[in-house]
Amino acid sequence: MTKDEIFSGVQEIFRDIFDEDDLVIQDSTSSEDIEDWDSLNHINLVSAIEKEFKIKFALGELVSLQDVGEMITLMIEKMK
Amino acid sequence: MNNYLFKDIYVGLEHAFDATIDASMQEKFIAISNDTNPLHTDVSYAKSKGFDGTLVHGLLTSSFYSTLVGVYLPGKFCILQGIDISFSKPVYLNDHLHISGKVKYINEAYQQIEIKAIISNQDNVKISKATIKVGIMDE
Repeated sequence: MTKDEIFSGVQEIFRDIFDEDDLVIQDSTSSEDIEDWDSLNHINLVSAIEKEFKIKFALGELVSLQDVGEMITLMIEKMK
Repeated sequence: MNNYLFKDIYVGLEHAFDATIDASMQEKFIAISNDTNPLHTDVSYAKSKGFDGTLVHGLLTSSFYSTLVGVYLPGKFCILQGIDISFSKPVYLNDHLHISGKVKYINEAYQQIEIKAIISNQDNVKISKATIKVGIMDE
C-alpha cells in the first residue's frame, strides 16, 4: 500500500468520524485544526485506523505523535 | 455486579440478562423525561397509528444497554463513552426482554472496548441493536 493510498484511507476515516464529507487533511493537520478532535474522538480515530488497516498501536507509540503526518509515518512502519 | 479489569476482557466475551418494563416503570420514565407523546400515553391514538397499544419509549428500553455495560460487561470499572442504537420493532408494556452483548473489538492503547448488543422480546424478535463503546478504568 502506497503512502497516498494510506493517506486517502485515513482522510475517509477523518471525514466519517468528524461528519465532514469535504474535510481535507494534510501532514501538518493536528488536533489544533479540528474543533471536534477531543480525547474521545481521538480514541475513535485510533480504533477506526486499527480496524481499517489491520494494525495495532501501543499507547507509547501514540503519545508523542504531533500531527497526521507522524501518524501515517508510524502506520507505514507498522505495515512493513 | 461484575468487575472485569481490562486484562480480563477478550473478543467474544458475552453476557446477557432479562428484564420486563411494567406500567410503573413507564410512568417514572415519563416523569423524568417529560416525554408525554401520545404514542406512549394514549391507547386510542397508538392504535390509530397501527400499533397494538401504547409503546414503551425506545430510550427506556435502551436504558438496559446502560445496565449491560455498567453491571455485567465489564461492570464496576465501566465508563460509557458512546452508543449507537437502532430500533427495529415496537415494545409494549410487560414484554419480556432479553438483553445481550458481546465484545467485538478491543482498543489496547486506550483500554476501550466495543460491544455489539441486541435486545429481543419474548418471541425472539430483535427490537433494537446497539454498538456500545466503553472505557475500562483501572481498579
